[in-house]
Amino acid sequence: MNTSVTQQTVAVTLNEEYCSRCSICSSLCPFEAIKKEPETGKIVLEIEKCQVCGLCYSTCPATAISSVYYDTDSLTGYLKRAKQEYESDILVIMCKGSSPDFEGVEKLFGVSKFIPLFVPCIGRMPEEVLLRALTMGIRGIHVLACDEDYCRFDKGSAVAGRKILALNLLLEQLGYGTEVITLKRNSLKVKVDKDKCITCGNCVFYCPYHAAKLENGAASFDLDLCRGCGLCVALCPAFALELENWEKERISTLISKLSLEMEKPKVLIFRCQWAVLPPVDEDFGSHVRAIDLPCAARVDMLHILEAFQNGIDGVLIAACHEEECKQEKKGSKEAQHQVMVLKERLSQIGLGDRLHFCFVAPRYPGVFTAELEQFTEGIGADFLKGGR
Amino acid sequence: MIVTVQKSLDEIFDSLSPYTSVLIAGCDGCTQPPRGLREAEALSRLLELGARSRGKKLDFKVTTLPKQCDSYLVADMLEPQTDAVEAILSLACGVGVQTLTQVLPDLVTLPAQNTLFMGMEAREGGTFEENCAACGDCILALTGGICPIARCAKGLLNGACGGSSDDKCEQDPQKDCAWCLIYKRLQKLDRLDILREFRPPRNFRAVARPGRLKQ
Repeated sequence: MNTSVTQQTVAVTLNEEYCSRCSICSSLCPFEAIKKEPETGKIVLEIEKCQVCGLCYSTCPATAISSVYYDTDSLTGYLKRAKQEYESDILVIMCKGSSPDFEGVEKLFGVSKFIPLFVPCIGRMPEEVLLRALTMGIRGIHVLACDEDYCRFDKGSAVAGRKILALNLLLEQLGYGTEVITLKRNSLKVKVDKDKCITCGNCVFYCPYHAAKLENGAASFDLDLCRGCGLCVALCPAFALELENWEKERISTLISKLSLEMEKPKVLIFRCQWAVLPPVDEDFGSHVRAIDLPCAARVDMLHILEAFQNGIDGVLIAACHEEECKQEKKGSKEAQHQVMVLKERLSQIGLGDRLHFCFVAPRYPGVFTAELEQFTEGIGADFLKGGR
Repeated sequence: MIVTVQKSLDEIFDSLSPYTSVLIAGCDGCTQPPRGLREAEALSRLLELGARSRGKKLDFKVTTLPKQCDSYLVADMLEPQTDAVEAILSLACGVGVQTLTQVLPDLVTLPAQNTLFMGMEAREGGTFEENCAACGDCILALTGGICPIARCAKGLLNGACGGSSDDKCEQDPQKDCAWCLIYKRLQKLDRLDILREFRPPRNFRAVARPGRLKQ
């Protein structure tokens, strides 16, 4: 692929003219991508290190940092539209990494009708958006963040907690009442069906966090260590494991639902939610749909086969670069291996070209777009020829 | 454990060609990599997709057994699942395929795997290493726990041969010379004296093939 073209758009930029050199961004950046140059005092952003968590964007007091994802305007725009669509004045903002299904959210916050807003990390939410939401007539804001030690961006969840504390104090002084914004924490974990376990030890070997053990004739997990990547689930030969909110059955249902609403030729994307940050109003048109997973490691080879059986013409897997995998650098690499093995087997029945694996990073949004375009074109050309 | 590799889908299609209703049976026993329910389901989906492109309709059911090499378990757990099934495609090693054939003589059992050897799974490298040849006359106590019957290309009892170079085997320089490993191991144990003893040819009658054992 022509990298000079695809790397033109950069997800995060720093405008030196606005920068007051306060260094808040560099002190918060979990990836040491923003630093103060000792000689000049200038703040510099090293985009190759940036993993686009958005912490710097949402905390910069001088609005010197801009982000192509989830910026104040697009979030406010979404809220305006969603308020009408969902006919509610309760907003629930959820980190994708830790949000249970809607029923789970209802239970957590005791609300049945709400405007959902999924973001990759609550730490990237600008306070301004929350304040604008209130001026828009939104009555209550619930925030669901990951447990602090579970945050894929290291400090995102903790910073979000402090911001909300400060905002609530401010809102109280302004006469909005106490605790206008409620914050809860949640983490999604593995579930074991001990009756199905065949004690093969796959989970013990593959778990990046050493959370799995074989004990008393079955796998057992230390849930304090589990970070919900789903690698063990996708590799369990006996279907003894499930990942909360990304259960096998639920993904299957989603595949058939998405396939029904698509037009031929159909392309389905399985993507790591940290490799591609979808815009709030993502629109793929009628031929493409995406399923976001907690890590490419949760991509189940059976789901890929199921997609083909459901009439999907092409399956694209988008994963983080190995060294940027949020699951101890293990998830994305293993996913690639599994996909390549499956691709080889698919090629034996003439479907090898229908499956494509790519490494992408949200810092260059164009790379994913180009991968998708190239793949979709190939599938489309094949389809016109009469396909399969 | 017993190490197996998948047969090509073409070969499986060929062997299945006379049948339309097939039960794919996984084995949760010692077959490695694990050939349990997931593998059975993955294979059924691949075959179903492949059959479509060949203009053929194949009906699959999938199941798995704790181990296919147990005649009682096969009769007890697998037989009740064979109604309207014409053939069983077994994901077990050759032992499992033959157990099924013997216990379910009215059905055809076909192998989905090639059975390679008994070996160790070296997880980190993702490799499987053969290390037991089931010779029936174990000498591991004399060779520092490293088997020259399985791991020396020539199966020598008094190695190393002259072909060993840089601790690798002349037959395949990717593989370790078993006798170099044995020497180093015995050196570490301070038992090089064992090597001074000449070992006569081993007892080939320890297991009369085919092996049989009455419990």
